[in-house]
Amino acid sequence: MEREFTPLEPLLPAGNLKYCLVILNQPLDKCYRHLWKKALFRACADGGANRLYDITEGHRESFLPEFINGDFDSIRPEVREYYTLKGCELISTPDQDHTDFTKCLQVLQKKIEEKGLQGKHKLHVDTGLEGNWCGLVPVGQPCNQVTTTGLKWNLTNSVLGFGTLVSTSNTYDGSGIVTVETDHPLLWTMAIKI
Amino acid sequence: MKEDFCSYFRKWTISFSLLYLLLVILSVHRPLASHKGQPRRGSHTTAHCCALFRACADGGANRLYDITEGHRESFLPEFINGDFDSIRPEVREYYTLKGCELISTPDQDHTDFTKCLQVLQKKIEEKGLQVDVIVTLGGLTGRFDQIMASVNTLYQAIHIVPMPTIIIQEESLIYLLQPGKHKLHVDTGLEGNWCGLVPVGQPCNQVTTTGLKWNLTNSVLGFGTLVSTSNTYDGSGIVTVETDHPLLWTMAIKI
Repeated sequence: MEREFTPLEPLLPAGNLKYCLVILNQPLDKCYRHLWKKALFRACADGGANRLYDITEGHRESFLPEFINGDFDSIRPEVREYYTLKGCELISTPDQDHTDFTKCLQVLQKKIEEKGLQGKHKLHVDTGLEGNWCGLVPVGQPCNQVTTTGLKWNLTNSVLGFGTLVSTSNTYDGSGIVTVETDHPLLWTMAIKI
Repeated sequence: MKEDFCSYFRKWTISFSLLYLLLVILSVHRPLASHKGQPRRGSHTTAHCCALFRACADGGANRLYDITEGHRESFLPEFINGDFDSIRPEVREYYTLKGCELISTPDQDHTDFTKCLQVLQKKIEEKGLQVDVIVTLGGLTGRFDQIMASVNTLYQAIHIVPMPTIIIQEESLIYLLQPGKHKLHVDTGLEGNWCGLVPVGQPCNQVTTTGLKWNLTNSVLGFGTLVSTSNTYDGSGIVTVETDHPLLWTMAIKI
């Protein structure tokens, strides 16, 4: 089967491509800002964190990676301390048979699986115990790409966020199945027939 | 309670309007009230008698109607808004008869609460009212999706009304702190024994507090990382909060 792919798609200004950003220990290109903004997930491989730390001086809080992995022989102590304090996960990957980059991809794949960043969910809502309301609440952070089926008011690549849009007082379309695709953790809530 | 209800409530508003503390103390202006959701024993009298203006969002009118049985005429809202899918026919009829304004706000993209604030702001402008704070009763218990909708309205409120909006129900109060520095006076005597800071809509990367038992210093607050709940006070009577993103303050009210 033929695989279709557009190599430069991540660099396009708009679009719905779901990608993870990995930063390695080399001077960062100017495009990092644009790539950072639209990424699902961002990681630094060891000294890549130094590069990120230096280039984001003045607004570091807006550029916090989800994790930094490595044997930590490159990351500077103050950089490591900063990102630890800010809640980034520091994952030690001491294996000397693989580069920090390779190990970064391994950690990334685990995270993608754990967090269901593929993010597709299928909920069966035909037990007979469902009440007449449901909702999708982006508690903790906005979700930039939410798509649903099976609801009375569906979403298509929509943004959910407090202050923007929160799906409440929604209900079902009668099909008995709700699908939700999301790029960030999203709280599903529903009524139970008491 | 020996002191009269009005002065008790003034103390409440002083404690929550700290950005505007001087205005509240020096002025004779009193807060606005809007009713929604479930009734609160006793405090409705307080809020009602001190309010400049009172409104009900749709089914909030049912709650008001039921709890004020026997003296309904003393508790007539200036208006009731909504798509009117919750207000009971006899309730709607009663308030219409009594001269309350019924304002249809059918827009399904916003909750009755949000739309109530929009109408309220228009009224404030029309009547040239000086308002320090909007006090909302209800919205914090019951259906989880509607509780979340209430929180969302606080996020939207900053674009609708220029003054702070607080929500009170049973023993809880919530108030959304905008990015920046805040000073909260928590010495009215009505404070309960818990409080918290909840980064509902997005993580806050730099939060610093004083006056709490467990303070934060340039800390990250975020769901999955750290949420400050079951916190309490250090006894100083003042809490300061500095945040880089909107952060929900919540506290206990002594019932």
